[in-house]
Amino acid sequence: MTGEVNIFEVLEPGLQTTVQDLGRPGYLADGIPPSGAFDSLALKLANLLVGNPPGDHVLVGTDPGAAGLEMLLVGPRLRALSYTVIAVTGADLRPAVNGRPIPLWTSVLVRPGQEITFGAAHAGARGYLAVAGGLAVPAVLGSRATNVRAGLGGVHGRALRAGDVLATYPITGSPVQRAGMRVRADRLPGRPGDSGAVLRVVLGPQDHLFTPDSVRTFLETKWRLSPTSDRMGCRFIGPALHFLPRPDYLVDQAGSDPSNIVDDSICIGSIQVPSGLEPIVMGVDGPSLGGYAKIATVISPDLSVLAQLVPGDPVRFRAVDVDDAHDAHVAARALVTTDSVEKL
Amino acid sequence: MTSRATFRSLGDLELCVEFGDRLDLALNFTVLALDRALKSAGVPGVRETVPTHRSLGVVYDPLLIHRRDLEHLITELVDDLAELTEFPSRLVTIPIWYDDPWSQECARAHGVGNNIDYLARMNGIDREEVMSRHSGVTHWVSAVGFQPGTYQAVPLGDMALTGPKYERPRKWTDPGIVCLAGSITSYYPVRSPGGYQLLGRTPVDLFDPLCRNPVFAESPVLPRVGDRHRYVPIDADEYHAIRAQVKAGEYRYQIEDGVQRLEPV
Repeated sequence: MTGEVNIFEVLEPGLQTTVQDLGRPGYLADGIPPSGAFDSLALKLANLLVGNPPGDHVLVGTDPGAAGLEMLLVGPRLRALSYTVIAVTGADLRPAVNGRPIPLWTSVLVRPGQEITFGAAHAGARGYLAVAGGLAVPAVLGSRATNVRAGLGGVHGRALRAGDVLATYPITGSPVQRAGMRVRADRLPGRPGDSGAVLRVVLGPQDHLFTPDSVRTFLETKWRLSPTSDRMGCRFIGPALHFLPRPDYLVDQAGSDPSNIVDDSICIGSIQVPSGLEPIVMGVDGPSLGGYAKIATVISPDLSVLAQLVPGDPVRFRAVDVDDAHDAHVAARALVTTDSVEKL
Repeated sequence: MTSRATFRSLGDLELCVEFGDRLDLALNFTVLALDRALKSAGVPGVRETVPTHRSLGVVYDPLLIHRRDLEHLITELVDDLAELTEFPSRLVTIPIWYDDPWSQECARAHGVGNNIDYLARMNGIDREEVMSRHSGVTHWVSAVGFQPGTYQAVPLGDMALTGPKYERPRKWTDPGIVCLAGSITSYYPVRSPGGYQLLGRTPVDLFDPLCRNPVFAESPVLPRVGDRHRYVPIDADEYHAIRAQVKAGEYRYQIEDGVQRLEPV
């Protein structure tokens, strides 16, 4: 595309920094997960702050919105190559411009030659950086989102490396007009209290394969996020869960482990429990098909909460029915509008 | 049609329409029939569908359709499904270097014996018979997914070859490895963990994120539910010759259109 503007040189890439938009729906039947920002709410708000289209919704939306950066725990060091406006949202990775801290959830003017730096996260796990115009990388299957494992999207299907040069699409008007916006206080995502995060789930599709005691244990336990967690899946440490006896044909067809089922569809947020140990909540890069019983599925508005957990964080799962899950989904979507941001 | 659908929740965005809990070609035909009916009904709010062995995943936008209305609509479609006795099906030929050096090394690296030897022992046959039984039947792809291009295929006919999953899953498997668990054949498109028995390696890409071959014009993933696979044993020289063609984007995939009939397996 003509008119692209080189905007950042990557001096240090950070732990795992990837280009993400709201993802690539429509290819689950090919085994291609949606990918996209794990905390999609934070990316949408970042895009609104810099005047970009925020897009629609993960998995069921038709517009992936503008692409920005997702930064895990340790952010990158970037040199600005042009005048632009950025906004940093999500986890607090201590963003600074030329060494001077900049506020989160606020759009800031950046001049050529200035360095954008981050420290280590001290609240949350994933930060988002949006830039006016949106990052310019080729759309693959309708999205710019990076899926590192499959090598799709983003910058050559991988995380950023030192030396990469990122470009944006051109914007109309001066970037100055886009600076000085902040997210309205009542639209800022809440942070979990000391007692930990609550993730709402709809039980099923295979809760009936677990013992009733284990379903209760699942809902009553304070789980802790395992360090073995990423965009594919987040593991939780806690008690073992147990399964009801199975018919013999399933031992032959599905496998000898009591958690094995004949493979079926998995949604992002679905919770597999291989061997009854360490429930795994599937993330945005998670598998589309799997052979382990799924006790429940985290509802889509709470994936943004999941995305911000760090290893050791306490979590409870709370069951809601499908009507409540729909209401929560509709309410969460209605909260992200151009009204979500205001002039400082 | 006498099929009954059970509705199971996958959160607020997906509904699982389940026809049974087992591998059964008749169930898979029902899944495919419902998938076709749902697509031609053009329901607003239905975003995508995921056919598997025994269930259809239906992704929907709760802003546009409520779960209850979707369930009503699908119940009516299931009631009206005509008995499906045949289905259009591509026959895809996939060359395999059975017991290739990468599979051998992968087993060694994980502290287990040669997987072909193990399958031979488990099934009371010799090594050659393992390969000839696997390549001697046509296989039906009844699920696609896990990773891009991964598929699961069941034998059409009596293969008389089964193997258990690993008790301790491998940490990695080379891309291109074709594998077996129970009677299901699967495939690792990218380096990944796994627990299926290693059969051999195919030089042919079934997933190409760069879509270098015309066969990937519509999607970077070749396998589709409803394909049939024929596995053809090749040797080292053939493997390397085909691999070179694939890398150059010049390989001519062998795909024939056809029909699969529902017959007792």
